[in-house]
Amino acid sequence: MAVAGAAAQSLPSSLPAPWWRGRPGAAVLVVAGMLLSYFGWKHHWAWPAALEWNSFSPHLDRFQAWLSNNRNLPHPNIAFRIFNGFANFLDDLVSWLTRLFYYLKWSGTTALGTLVVLRFGGRKAALGTLAAFASFATLGLWDNSVQTFALMFAAVGMSLAVGMPLGVLAGRSATFNRAITPILDAMQIVPAFAYLMPVVILFSVGPGAAVVTTMIYAVPPAIRITALGIRGVAPNTVEAATALGATRWQVLSKVQLPLARRMLLLSVNQTILFALSMVVIAGLIGGTGLGDAVTNGLYTDPAFAIFAGAAIVIMAIALDRATEAMANRTDPAQRHLTAHKAHVLRAYTAACALVVVAAVVLGHVFGAGTVWSRWTAQDWLRTYVQRALDYIQNPGTFLFRNLTNPTGNFLVQHGIQPLRTFFIETPWPATFAGLVLIAFLLSGLRRAAIAAAMLFIVGLVGEWANAMDTFSQVLVATVLTVIVGLAIGVWAAESRTVSRVVRPVNDVLQTLPQLVYIIPFIYLMPVSGVPGVVASVLYASPVMIRLVQRGIEDVSPESVEAATSFGATRAQVLLKVKIPLARDAIMLGVNQAIIMVLAVVVIGGLVGSGALGYEVAQGLQRNAFGQGVIASIAILALGIALDRVTQGRGAAGARSES
Amino acid sequence: MSTSTTGAKRLGSSSGNPLIRAEGIWKIFGKNADRVIGTADAELSRAELRTKTGCVAAVRNVSFEVWPGEVFVVMGLSGSGKSTLVRTLIRLIEPTAGRVEIDGHDVTQASRDELLQLRRHTSSMVFQHFGLLAHRSVIDNVAFGLEVQGKSKAERLARAGEVLKLVGLEDAANQFPNELSGGMQQRVGLARAFAVDPKVMLYDEPFSALDPLIRRDMQDEVIRLQHETGKTMVFITHDLPEALRLGDRIAIMRDGRVVQLGTPEDLVGSPADDYVSNFVRDIPRSHVLTLRWIMREPAAGEADGPTLDVSTTVRNAVPVIAASERPVCAVENGRVVGVVDKEAVLMAIAGEGD
Ligand SMILES: Nc1ncnc2c1ncn2[C@@H]1O[C@H](COP(=O)(O)OP(=O)(O)OP(=O)(O)O)[C@@H](O)[C@H]1O
Ligand SMILES: [Mg+2]
Repeated sequence: MAVAGAAAQSLPSSLPAPWWRGRPGAAVLVVAGMLLSYFGWKHHWAWPAALEWNSFSPHLDRFQAWLSNNRNLPHPNIAFRIFNGFANFLDDLVSWLTRLFYYLKWSGTTALGTLVVLRFGGRKAALGTLAAFASFATLGLWDNSVQTFALMFAAVGMSLAVGMPLGVLAGRSATFNRAITPILDAMQIVPAFAYLMPVVILFSVGPGAAVVTTMIYAVPPAIRITALGIRGVAPNTVEAATALGATRWQVLSKVQLPLARRMLLLSVNQTILFALSMVVIAGLIGGTGLGDAVTNGLYTDPAFAIFAGAAIVIMAIALDRATEAMANRTDPAQRHLTAHKAHVLRAYTAACALVVVAAVVLGHVFGAGTVWSRWTAQDWLRTYVQRALDYIQNPGTFLFRNLTNPTGNFLVQHGIQPLRTFFIETPWPATFAGLVLIAFLLSGLRRAAIAAAMLFIVGLVGEWANAMDTFSQVLVATVLTVIVGLAIGVWAAESRTVSRVVRPVNDVLQTLPQLVYIIPFIYLMPVSGVPGVVASVLYASPVMIRLVQRGIEDVSPESVEAATSFGATRAQVLLKVKIPLARDAIMLGVNQAIIMVLAVVVIGGLVGSGALGYEVAQGLQRNAFGQGVIASIAILALGIALDRVTQGRGAAGARSES
Repeated sequence: MSTSTTGAKRLGSSSGNPLIRAEGIWKIFGKNADRVIGTADAELSRAELRTKTGCVAAVRNVSFEVWPGEVFVVMGLSGSGKSTLVRTLIRLIEPTAGRVEIDGHDVTQASRDELLQLRRHTSSMVFQHFGLLAHRSVIDNVAFGLEVQGKSKAERLARAGEVLKLVGLEDAANQFPNELSGGMQQRVGLARAFAVDPKVMLYDEPFSALDPLIRRDMQDEVIRLQHETGKTMVFITHDLPEALRLGDRIAIMRDGRVVQLGTPEDLVGSPADDYVSNFVRDIPRSHVLTLRWIMREPAAGEADGPTLDVSTTVRNAVPVIAASERPVCAVENGRVVGVVDKEAVLMAIAGEGD
């Protein structure tokens, strides 16, 4: 022990000052104070009505009414006309695309999708696409899939149309980049669930609203990755082009964009995945298709919801692989296009186009359906899924008795419930001061001030109790995420085998839509709040694992060597050198995890998690706009507060890492 | 080695106008850079200026002229401001002060359009790190300048093919830059610059990234191209042998200033200060100095020995001088301008190393 201690001390300045010394003590004191006031003044100090802005909700309702009245006048004024035009355009875009696919018939749609991938992405990717189509048919979800595809295409197109130009601008102008970065940061903190209400108020329920929601979610990464790509172009190539007299436009179109090609395609790929992960939520506000099937099925037809969820996952994986393959195969530096090859490729393209046309024509001649409906395995599959569901939910089974039920109950009884009681029943000044103090200890004065303002807003709009409820769920889920992330991340960093296993699992988990995580647990652990918590742990863990693993792998070998040379065991090296040195990465992981957890926990409001998410769900389902918007604001404020608190001191610049 | 100063004929050519005229160029990086010039601060050393104002004076009050057909070399250690200087010539970097004229046009005052025209037709540049476009084949890289000018595809490919032949890369036309060796990549860079048939070629340490053997090859290439096309060149290097091999005149820079500007002989024969003499210390003088440098007035009756051109280097003159009983006559344009005897040669060679 003494030797290892010496080793740790002998490490040069690369070992950070022990930040926890002193501060953890203070934090424990703060928590003790909160506990004390909990036991002393339980129930006595709920958030006072005097500090609530009660008329806010009716104001919002009136605003919504005013908006819809003015919009639906026979002759709305110019501002509304422009706005309506935009909303209608989005609606039309989606329905136009849907009709296009219908017109192509199922035969033409399949041929188009598969052959485009075949031509640009190669045989393997095309097979994957074909398999995806086949599984939509098998699941009996062809129509839903086509609708989702149309919705997604519109959303991705619009997101790129907005994101790419802005990204190019941000890549070329440092000033613009600096101006836009905080906005992007903010957009990425907000849980998607929180902007559903405002979007619905502005655009009313329909495909247009679904597209807008998706855009809010998908545009920031599109901008970021595009900007990164443009900035990554070697300055000397730009200079060489300028020296030859290229105009700014020529430099952009002939040098920067083509050289940033990989990143631009990555940004397309990511936008598609982001958009897909929103389709389920979009189903809540009028996006028809698979998302719709999931959200409705949750209550009425669980097996169907599971099929739709599976179809989304299949679509996500197929699209991811297809776009990646296309990005690789079309790289000019890899392709070596000679005149002859170009000729052959042109012929190939023509042949593909011909086959697509033939498929469409044949579809019309033989009267193929607009959607595949001839044969599906849905009913057959349904019996099995239903049987599995019955088994899972049967209280008599081993699984239920010994695994899922106790786990769920344990989480509720020893995690969520006591924490919720604690946060809600502790006098609000004590909770408020305690949280702000902890924010100060973790992240410094400025961020603590922001957190305080945000918490105050939460109380002001009258959501203190609900927010504390949500917060307790977030806390439980985050603690679990950190435990899982640390354990697996450290293990993966130390063992190549584990790393090899974990990585593809992480890849798949990261492409899944948020709500899809929840579905299985609704049936596995049907106790209030638990599905949301467990799903959020699954959703946030991959990022945590990745960051922990990277942080530990990045610890400089010299530090490890120094410790080893003093005779530290592997465990000592890990605990005394690697984990402390990976502190920044771990802290960043906590920061990202807590935001991701919040996003899923509030979605859990749809399925019995209660609290803020439930308020939003009610707002959506009952047209209670004021209520929904207020809960959204509280979610947003809570999100910002949690983000600031966990940013840590001086980790502000680290966000762009993910 | 003895290919040096092919441009002797051009040296005194004060006939006509210089192709490039740079007057009092300053480049100061940093905030409020334009307030430094003209104040006492401008006279501070670079380090002092940086501590005092935070500005870096990369180029300080540099003036020179480059004549048509001349190879003008700018030499100096890393950080002496060479790259910055050459970039101010076509305003890839805006000079803070000073005036540049190329081919009779005032570059500093040029509008955006005029500047584009200048960059497209009058000058072209070769870069240390090549700056090739990785997404284009070799021939498309070479044709890039013509494409930027808006030439038709057929026209630019034809011209690019010609130029590729000139640099010996016709077989690599359809390859991509990342498949070529460094030397070949820089040949592409050369070809790209040549393709637009510029009047002035600017080279920014084009061969520094190449290994020595390839570098020699490339220098030969430049000398050959220069012979064949007679282009005017501004050539940046930090390598003195390279400077002496290529340069008709050489400007030596230090901390942003030109400390000496002259022919290779001037530098080797009479370095202006310790900095320069440190540079040229290891250069064999006999390889650089010409008869002009060591000749003396012919005494009566001496002007009938064997003749050598006045621009012959001492080294190349040695066999003739050694074989001759009489002093050798140095001739310029058929006229005897001086004589060289054995003593002078010995002195020149003995002077080496001090
Ligand atoms: N954009 C810039 N901003 C601030 N300082 C700069 C900038 N570019 C160059 N400098 C400074 O100007 C000085 C001259 O740089 P320059 O690149 O011209 O030197 P160089 O002689 O070409 O050196 P090298 O042989 O390394 O290429 C250096 O001190 C450099 O740090
Ligand atoms: Mg340089």
